[in-house]
Amino acid sequence: MENQFFLGAQGIPPPIPPLDFGQSLSSAMEIQASELNSSDYALQFESALSSMVSSPAASASNVSNDMFVFRELIGKLGSIGNSDDVSPHTLMASSSSYINGNNSTNTSCYSTPLNSPPKLNLPVMDVTVAEKLPGLGKSMGMDSSVADFSADPGFAERAAKFSCFGSRSFNGRTSQLGLNNNFNEISGYRSNPSSSNGKLPRVSSSPSLKAMAMASPIGNKSNPPLQDRSELANSQEESSITNGDPGFKAANSRKRKTVPKAKTNENSTSPSTNAAKATEQNEESNEKRCKSTESNGKQNGSVKTEEESKGNANTKPPEPPKDYIHVRARRGQATDSHSLAERVRREKISERMKLLQNLVPGCNKVTGKALMLDEIINYVQSLQRQVEFLSMKLASVNTRLDFNVDGLMPKDAFQSNNNSLTHEIFPMDSSASAIFGQNPAPHGGLSNGTMTPCLVDPLPPPFHQFTHTLPTYPTFCEGDLQTIVEMGFGQNQSREMGSQPENFQGSNQVADMKVEL
Amino acid sequence: MNPSSLKSRFTTRFLRALTKINAHKPISSSSPGPGEIFQRYRRIKVAADKSMAYSVRSRRTWSRATLWRLRTRSPRSRLATHARRSWVKTRSTRAASHGKEKKEDGGTVEAEELRELVPGGEAMDLCNLLDETAHYIKCLTTQLDILDRQECTSREL
Repeated sequence: MENQFFLGAQGIPPPIPPLDFGQSLSSAMEIQASELNSSDYALQFESALSSMVSSPAASASNVSNDMFVFRELIGKLGSIGNSDDVSPHTLMASSSSYINGNNSTNTSCYSTPLNSPPKLNLPVMDVTVAEKLPGLGKSMGMDSSVADFSADPGFAERAAKFSCFGSRSFNGRTSQLGLNNNFNEISGYRSNPSSSNGKLPRVSSSPSLKAMAMASPIGNKSNPPLQDRSELANSQEESSITNGDPGFKAANSRKRKTVPKAKTNENSTSPSTNAAKATEQNEESNEKRCKSTESNGKQNGSVKTEEESKGNANTKPPEPPKDYIHVRARRGQATDSHSLAERVRREKISERMKLLQNLVPGCNKVTGKALMLDEIINYVQSLQRQVEFLSMKLASVNTRLDFNVDGLMPKDAFQSNNNSLTHEIFPMDSSASAIFGQNPAPHGGLSNGTMTPCLVDPLPPPFHQFTHTLPTYPTFCEGDLQTIVEMGFGQNQSREMGSQPENFQGSNQVADMKVEL
Repeated sequence: MNPSSLKSRFTTRFLRALTKINAHKPISSSSPGPGEIFQRYRRIKVAADKSMAYSVRSRRTWSRATLWRLRTRSPRSRLATHARRSWVKTRSTRAASHGKEKKEDGGTVEAEELRELVPGGEAMDLCNLLDETAHYIKCLTTQLDILDRQECTSREL
């Protein structure tokens, strides 16, 4: 459905009233909201959706309001994150189509880009596109070239920047026009990395170019093209910055809460060639924002605050985290595109590690990537073993539904009755024999009480008798249960068993072990 | 409980599979042989993994890998595993060229281990691998929760 809107817009954009788009979009988004994994995401989504649907009912003249709502909506969409691979794509298409429709009522500025994209790059689109689309909201009164409204991740950014400049500062616009020519070929080079788009969309501004260079979809394919384009962007920016600087300054003088403007000014300061010190202050606050695929607002805020502390913190409110993040070189750091890309990657990884820290219990004190990874590995291993153990328990419990649980036998009786008990304790034997003599490898994460039965120390001797009588199950002993059983051996009654209310004490231990199985 | 949450999806599927397994193999009053228990255990484990992977569908790489693995087990194992190995090799080399050019990252050794643990993790760079790991952990904990409850209730019966 979204594709229809999109492809249909290739010709003259039909004057679809915004409400239709909203309705179709809302339906599309609702479908995806239902597919979203986490319920809180769906709630956010619904609220954003409702706000969005209500807004387009407003007159087209209130485009600024709409755009702001759009921005919020897109931001929320972006914040829903890429937990699903499918939904962001269609989300982005739908939202982009929605914005398309809305803008078509305003100016003809979008008509040209709508004509241009012959191919829709939906699979390439990432949730980061959502973050960029908010910038589109500002690109309203632009009659100069607007970057093509394709699913290209860089598009929204470019459009946003360009429009921001044009709408606020005439000087900026003229300089923008001058810049545009420089970027035509670059934009063509960049526009659709994975699709051979013959038409060159007119790119708006240098910062957007750089932004889009940075804003490639997360994934394997991003890094090499990213570096190339960022190099190009850098070179272009430096050449054109002097042109655009007076205009940018004028644009900056006004209090603008937009990323694009700040971006351009940032770029102007990055090579530190321009004396735009005043603008620098604006930029410091927006200095670097990581491309947050999860769009964790809190994280973005933290990144921003650390940037603000770097330079003279501007009183400008922090950018909405949904805006596309441009990586720019910090002061005193290498501006090499490679290192920039590397920095982006590192920050992404550290972001993920933070998330994982919250998931893995007991990881708060651990610092450093290697130790964290070790903990994560241990935790995942323990979880997998637990699953196997529990499924094994389920298998045995299901077959022993009518076993006599009350027959608590003393330990010696247990030993003498080893024949009758072999079956019951069988599942533990092979692994028990396997782990004999091995060192325990206790995991911190195994303290959730769903673990092993309390196999206490008196039990090992009886096992010796059994091992040679019982067939071995090599797959059983593939190490899955080793640690688990070992822990059971190593620990005594103090080990809390969340699911087992029995009290392991004295002579009951043996019988309890039998019950556990 | 959210009707469409991961937990509910997994629970329904898993219980369905469990009932199927129980129906297939009648519960014998006498203690079943160890082989039977083991077979049953395998079936239950496979059911748990499969129902979890199906609950996630193909949204995640690890679920896709798990489903692939489950589908192409013993019957067509040789051909399937060979195909999978070659595919994984190409993907991993590509990922290696991307993510491991600069070994200063220091996490490559553990990353390898993590790749082995998380299904389908061989062909992902570290960034995506961590993503997958987070989701995988979340699903594993859900799975454990359900299994645990199931085990409790069936034990009390």
